[in-house]
Amino acid sequence: MEFAGKKKNKITKPLLWFVLIAVAVIQIFPLVWLVDFSLASSTEMFTNGLLVIPEKIQWGNYAKAFVDGNFLLYLKNSILINGLAVLLVILVSIMAAFACRRMRWKLSGFVKTLLLMGMMIPIHATLLPNYKIYSQLGLTDTIWALLIPYVAFSLPQGLFLMTSFMESIPVELEEAAVMDGCGIYRIIFQIITPMLKSSIATVAIMTFLNNWNEFMMASTYLSSGKWKTLPFSVLEFTGEYSSNYAVQFAVMALTAAPAVIVYIILNKHITKGAAMGAVKG
Amino acid sequence: MKKLYSNKLVIFSLVLPGIIVFLFAILAPICLSVYYGFTDYSGMGSYSFIGIENYRQLVHDDAFWTSLKNSLLLAIGFIGIQHPLALIVAAVLDKLGGKAEGFFRCVYFIPNVISVAVIAYLWKFIYNPDFGLLNNIIKVFGGKGDINWFSNETAIWAVLFVLIWHGFGWGMLIYYTGIKNIDPVLYEAAAIDGANQRQTFLKITLPLMKPVIQVNVTMAVISALKQMETVYLLTNGGPGNSTQFTANYLYQQAFKAFKYGYGNAIGVIFIMICLLATIFLNKVFEERDINPRRIKGAA
Repeated sequence: MEFAGKKKNKITKPLLWFVLIAVAVIQIFPLVWLVDFSLASSTEMFTNGLLVIPEKIQWGNYAKAFVDGNFLLYLKNSILINGLAVLLVILVSIMAAFACRRMRWKLSGFVKTLLLMGMMIPIHATLLPNYKIYSQLGLTDTIWALLIPYVAFSLPQGLFLMTSFMESIPVELEEAAVMDGCGIYRIIFQIITPMLKSSIATVAIMTFLNNWNEFMMASTYLSSGKWKTLPFSVLEFTGEYSSNYAVQFAVMALTAAPAVIVYIILNKHITKGAAMGAVKG
Repeated sequence: MKKLYSNKLVIFSLVLPGIIVFLFAILAPICLSVYYGFTDYSGMGSYSFIGIENYRQLVHDDAFWTSLKNSLLLAIGFIGIQHPLALIVAAVLDKLGGKAEGFFRCVYFIPNVISVAVIAYLWKFIYNPDFGLLNNIIKVFGGKGDINWFSNETAIWAVLFVLIWHGFGWGMLIYYTGIKNIDPVLYEAAAIDGANQRQTFLKITLPLMKPVIQVNVTMAVISALKQMETVYLLTNGGPGNSTQFTANYLYQQAFKAFKYGYGNAIGVIFIMICLLATIFLNKVFEERDINPRRIKGAA
């Protein structure tokens, strides 16, 4: 590719850089603005410039956001619920993928198609009936009200990725294991699972990205703060501090921070995993 | 081996969790929606069956048609603006190499890891007529900068812009991955033949990216149909129903207007539209595939 660029691109090269930088500015400047305003005082916001230089950096905004936004509780809930959802999706999808891909039974194709159907169903259409079901069963305001739909709507993608990766594992390995007297469960969890490492990472990343920022189901199925997740720091806060804009900016920056920090640290792996998941799924 | 691999009990135990989740979280709610779609249930108290009355009402419901029209606009925005831009940026990025390539790739994707809740409120502030960023930018360039972005005429464009902006990183990433998978030998051959960058892009990159583009277009249409969260927080469909989307509308009907039965009827139609759109797009893009079962991707 290099020599394609060298020949006569004295003019195009700066142009390409211009495009890249312009797009980067459009994508990132709103976030710079967010952080900038979160450190100012509310009165300083009414400026005619694009950014303000705060007279005194208002760390107090973050202190308020941290305490009154229930940041720690909601962060803990988010991590716990998403972690469990990821584990369950991986476990259930490996089991189902093995059964549908490797084992011999008549309905394997049908069951696989059925489970994959979930990919086409719009999540939000299930909000109304699920609300009814969960309140009948007394599941509203429990961790299950989030865990069940989160797993259900990430499972099809997980299953799809697992089955397509499983195809690349040679059957001979399993044959050898069967000779040695291995049962199916041991084959799955001790031989197949370790070989699926990269696809497990992909499924984990996709499931996490799907559910980490979800709030529609959470706000429908939950009423108390017990299991509320991170987006609620923002949702509840804007009502409470409706006139104190600076603190609202701080709570938004704070809520966005964990995911952004983790993303920047693991950026290579996440990009790779997400790309693999998106292109395959 | 054969015997072990066709043990019914083992198979059953392996697929059972998946099937339970599917039945309980996807199939049961759909059946329930179909059931309530035939009733005049308000969400509490008693109700009676009214046949297809809800569906008859839906046909004449302007807000519903507006919501579909908005989905169509969004899909056009994704395919006409976001994707060409994403594809070009991905192609440029691919040639960059080194640290800068990784840096830009990282920056472009950052909005995607931020919660929709934050994104929606952030853009509410950006559009704010008093101290919003957008009006301030217009002022910096000498304009008056007193535009009310959420007025009747402009609200839908304001919403579309946010959605196109937010999803850009995903589209870019998928195109970028696709381009990375193209064999560099092809580019070398083109360079030896004296092709310039534009020719290379049009004659090599674009044709080879066809399957990726198809997957991306399908996903764009589906996500345009399924849009809810951003609109729910940004405008909640208003002013009037000018920025309404189907998912948001059915939610409003059920929980705000207390027409739970009607909301479910919309939900049933909504599911059917999503299914049909997916099947239709796969059929359209299928013709050149050898295996008709390719439906769910494998690009």
